[in-house]
Order: sequence, then structure tokens, then C-alpha cells
Amino acid sequence: MFNPTAFINESTENIQKTLKEKALIAFSGGVDSTVCAALVNKAVGKRLIAVHVDTGYMRKNEADHVKQLMEEMNLNYRFIDASDEYYEALKDVVDPEKKRKIIGEKFIEIFENVAKKEDIQYLVQGTIAPDWIESGGELRDTIKSHHNVGGLPEKMNLKLLEPLRDLYKDEVREIARALNVSVSEKQPFPGPGLAIRIMGEATPKRTEIVREACAIVEEEIEKAASENKMMLPWQYFAVLLPIKSVGVHGDKRAYGSVISIRAVESMDAMSCSFSTIPHEVIDLISNRITNTLGNDINRVVYDVTNKPPGTIEWE
Amino acid sequence: MVSIYVVDNGGQWTHREWRMLKYLDVTTKIVPNTTSWEDLVEEQVDGLILSGGAPRIGLENKLGNCDEYLKKADLPILGICAGHQFMARFFGGDAKPSKIPEFGKITLTLLDEENPLFEHVPKQSIVWESHNDEITVLPDSMKNLAKSENCLYQAIMHKTKPFFGLQFHPEVNNTEYGEQIFTNFKNICEKHQ
Repeated sequence: MFNPTAFINESTENIQKTLKEKALIAFSGGVDSTVCAALVNKAVGKRLIAVHVDTGYMRKNEADHVKQLMEEMNLNYRFIDASDEYYEALKDVVDPEKKRKIIGEKFIEIFENVAKKEDIQYLVQGTIAPDWIESGGELRDTIKSHHNVGGLPEKMNLKLLEPLRDLYKDEVREIARALNVSVSEKQPFPGPGLAIRIMGEATPKRTEIVREACAIVEEEIEKAASENKMMLPWQYFAVLLPIKSVGVHGDKRAYGSVISIRAVESMDAMSCSFSTIPHEVIDLISNRITNTLGNDINRVVYDVTNKPPGTIEWE
Repeated sequence: MVSIYVVDNGGQWTHREWRMLKYLDVTTKIVPNTTSWEDLVEEQVDGLILSGGAPRIGLENKLGNCDEYLKKADLPILGICAGHQFMARFFGGDAKPSKIPEFGKITLTLLDEENPLFEHVPKQSIVWESHNDEITVLPDSMKNLAKSENCLYQAIMHKTKPFFGLQFHPEVNNTEYGEQIFTNFKNICEKHQ
């Protein structure tokens, strides 16, 4: 079995051996980067600078939650709002791989700037096994370029440290619980954020739509779980599709976009089955989305695909 | 402690195979499929897993140095997916693109429930698949151990050598008795030491 205490001890020793000066950690506020920050903070304290980048593709209220988390963890942090830069960089970009590469490169650009200003040599990332596995290389096919692997430029001015590389999410959660990290049970959220939950161009307007839809999916599912109507799925969110379909609104023809609800069961994200959430919950979600976002969305579908043949996220 | 290495054929679940073995307290390491047989002998491995991979064995008969291992080894080898298809081709069988490929959930039916690889595995169970190709001709030196509705050769073994092949993926969390199958293979390697 996995021994989180043994891992923490071995890892702390390795980190202390490697990091003799300051280091910068890419901090999204997700389980992986938070656990990584906790580990490195434990090992080298204030020499660690946590950098959170608001890409403009974060979820509702996420920026505030992350700030709060960094304070709570007593991290030496920097908070950078780069939304305009990211929206500009992703203008007219439709190819999912291109999106991921652009986002990954932009992260590194921002980190390198901070590192230069503060004289930092090391970049720490919470990269875990599925990230480098799915990003491929040599014999391994690229399923998708994870921003923290496939998105890295050929030549980086920073040295890379990734203490969680061999782990899967369930093992990271065990470490989180052992270290008392508050986000241990948080659902996974992709590094490229909402940008890859928008099929096609990830414009600010479309981001707003999927942001609201994701919030509705999260709220209704979490409410139903708290009322014991269902278990919390591994991951649950909304995807904005690149198609339109006909509808009827108040005796008038409607022609609007489609949202897909996605909810899956998994242990390590390397395989999954679609969640069989109660129909009444799907009903509530569908209803709220088509009422709240009625100007844009007039149809909701439910994704019934396992992994394989699909992946959890759509891009 | 028994030592079983995972030969990396470029699979998505190669690292999961490594994890499964680690959790069973097996000494294990992922090695590239270009590793020479001599190097493996030097490491004193007790068993090998030929992982799944992206290479299309139904179209091309090449899988790194796996042919060398199959030719020279007399220790237990478990081929998974691409490894399983390659094994059948190596011994004179054939593999082709599947008429109906299988992705995700499939029901496995055992044909040989007494086999040591399937100890404590019920006759029917859910397995997780991900294959574009499959074995179409099984060589005479091998035996079929399990099937599914759309794929006849889901599990095979050599009649005289300790070699096994699985079309499905026991290392994936969704395969119901995956951990049991790994435990059984570990036992096979231990008995053979």
C-alpha cells in the first residue's frame, strides 16, 4: 500500500538536499500544487515563493478562495492577474493542443519574470503521474499536452523540481490528509482551467457562460450530496459545445448553444466510468442552466462516456 | 522479495502496472523496451511484464526488444494488450485490426477457471479494455484462456513456457479482479524462482 508518512519524510529530505536557495512554486490552489507547496514549505519555509496566476479561466470566486488558502497556509505568495494576457493569447485559437501549449508557455513566461525579479533558480510544480504519461513522448502517444509538461518550452531558464511525479491523485490526497491540507478532498480542476471546457475559441463571453454553468453543476451536485441523495462524483462540471440547436422560448423560435454535463467516477483519473447521478438532480441542473443562461443556452445534454474511449475532460 | 520489471512499450497504463507491483511489495522498475536481455539477466529479475503500448501490433510486428525476451527467457512473462498480441505473433500466430474494437467496460468469460493466473477470479467479471487490434490466429503452442463477446482471445498462455498474455488491462482500477490477477502472477513468479 501507499505510505504517506514515509513519502513525506523521504521527499522532505530530497527537497532539502536539492533546494539550497529560493524556489518558486506554481500555485493553482488545486490539490496537487497545494500539497506540493505544503511539502516544500515544510522543507524550506520562507525560501518558497508561491505564485498564483489568475488566467481569467478560473471558476466563480476561485481567486478569493486561493488568496485565502495561501494566507491560511502562511505561504510567502505573489498573486498575479494575467487574464487580459491569456484572453489575448487565446484569441482565435480553436485547436485544443494549441490552447494547452499556449497556456503552458504563458505560465512559464510569467514565472520566469517573477524568478528573474526575485533571483530564483528553481521552479517547483505539483506535476503528478497522469500529467507526464498523457503528455507522451518517444514511444508514448500524446493523448493531451498537460500544461505543466507538454506546455513547457524547449528551453527554460529555470530548474525544475517535481516531488509528486510518480503519484496519482488518490496518493496525493493521502499526503494531503497527513499534512492537514484543507483542500484534500477538492475535485480535480485542469491547469488550463475553463479554457478547455469551451469547445472552440475561449472568448471572455464564452468563459462567462461556462463559468456560470460549472457553478450551477457544482452547487446542485454538492447540495444533493449533502442531502444524501447521491455520493459526490470524482469530477463534475459543464462543457460548452461548439454547436447550436433549435428551441422554443415563449412562443418564439430560439437558436442557442448546448451545454454538456459531465460527472465521472474514478480513482486515479487514468480510467473512469460516467456517474449515474439521480435524474432529479440532472433535471434541476438542466432547468437552472437553461433559465439562468437562457439567452445563450437552450439545450443541455449528459455525457455518458467512459474513459476509455473518452477522457474525463473534453479537451 | 520477488523482482518483476515492467517493460515500457509506450502504454498509458505502464506506470499503473508498476504501481500494482509496488503495492504488492514486489521489487519493480520500469525499463525501456530497448533494454537488452543481458541487462535484465544482470538485474536478476524473476518475471517480466510486457506493457501495453501505442504501437499497432495488428499492423506491424515490432515491439522493441520484446522478441529477444520471448526467445531467451525461461522465467514468467505476462504480456498485456500490445504485449499479448506481440507474443501470439512471435510464436507463429497473427494479429489484425479489430472488427469491433473494445474501449472501457467489457464482460470477460473465463474458459479455463483452474488456471493459476485466474485463481479466485469468477467465471464472469468486468474488465477494462483499450485495443484497436487483436489476436486473430493463436499459434498451436498456445492455449486460449478467456474470451469476450467481441474478442475471442482475451487471455492466452504458452503450453510449455511460463508465458501469459492478456488483451484486457488488469492494472486499471475499473477491472474488477485486476489486483487478484497481479497477485496470481506474483505467485507464479515466486513459485518459479
